[in-house]
Amino acid sequence: MTHQTHSYHMVNPSPWPLTGALSAFLMTSGLIMWFHFNSLILLALSLLTNTLTMYQWWRDIVRESTFQGHHTPTVQKGLRYGMILFILSEALFFMGFFWAFYHSSLAPTPELGGSWPPTGIHPLNPLEVPLLNTSVLLASGVSITWAHHSLMEGNRKHTLQALLITIMLGLYFTLLQVSEYYEASFTISDGIYGSTFFVATGFHGLHVIIGSTFLIVCFMRQLTFHFTSNHHFGFEAAAWYWHFVDVVWLFLYISIYWWGS
Amino acid sequence: MSSLFPLIEGSARMWKTLTYFVALPGVGVSTLNVFLKHHGEEERPEFITYPHLRIRSKPFPWGDGNHTLFHNPHVNSLPIGHEDE
Repeated sequence: MTHQTHSYHMVNPSPWPLTGALSAFLMTSGLIMWFHFNSLILLALSLLTNTLTMYQWWRDIVRESTFQGHHTPTVQKGLRYGMILFILSEALFFMGFFWAFYHSSLAPTPELGGSWPPTGIHPLNPLEVPLLNTSVLLASGVSITWAHHSLMEGNRKHTLQALLITIMLGLYFTLLQVSEYYEASFTISDGIYGSTFFVATGFHGLHVIIGSTFLIVCFMRQLTFHFTSNHHFGFEAAAWYWHFVDVVWLFLYISIYWWGS
Repeated sequence: MSSLFPLIEGSARMWKTLTYFVALPGVGVSTLNVFLKHHGEEERPEFITYPHLRIRSKPFPWGDGNHTLFHNPHVNSLPIGHEDE
């Protein structure tokens, strides 16, 4: 028997899980070295090895699927489960920070002046840049849906155009948030308000950057004809992740920016 | 299971219309709103050394250890007061 008689993908041995784990260990040790011993070398090495691992691992997946045809419908179903579970884990990650925010803001302590926002904190006006950011992410949700439908209908030009608009909107959001971070009169060191604000929005911003990167990869793959009109799970995974990022922002906007102001 | 075919033929055209006539103009209006509101916001609140703000339990691992990552001298004060006064 020289061929498999099942529809699963028995992946060839790969070094990337090990290099990924090692880079994660380096990253944690690197942070300790930076925080406590003023040394950046381990951290820098960890960022390099982590990036190389991600690049090569995902490159191999593209090779196995697009070029070698290992992604049968069965395999794709498994990937769908995987992506959904991953996004679920991320949702739980954010729920922790929302828990922290509501814990502190629903019953503000006397040390804060017994109020939320705490005495001396001047929150950002939710009807200015935060509202713009909301419109930007909602718009990007519309444009990515246009991209998906164009892809399914086999319209290459429109898929590229819509994906590009989505990516530009993502970049616009990131630039606006960085500007907001500089312009805010409060900082991360301003007690529990600063901590909850910047940790929650900061992790969200990181996810926007990750999502934008994922979309850029999809853009390049679409340019090089990787996707077909009925098999493009990489694109779908990116779209799911992007919608998730949008939904987290909506919760942030309503809780921290609007209710919390 | 492969990805779903669009349930309505030509639905991409609807999303394209929504993108150009609703989503992007919405962004435009919001941008304009920010731009118009931004004129005349120069004053900053009076500085009071509240103990619950500008906390420094441990120096930051960068610079002089006393500035946050996105420190803006114009609007952010240090624990002892504004730098640029």
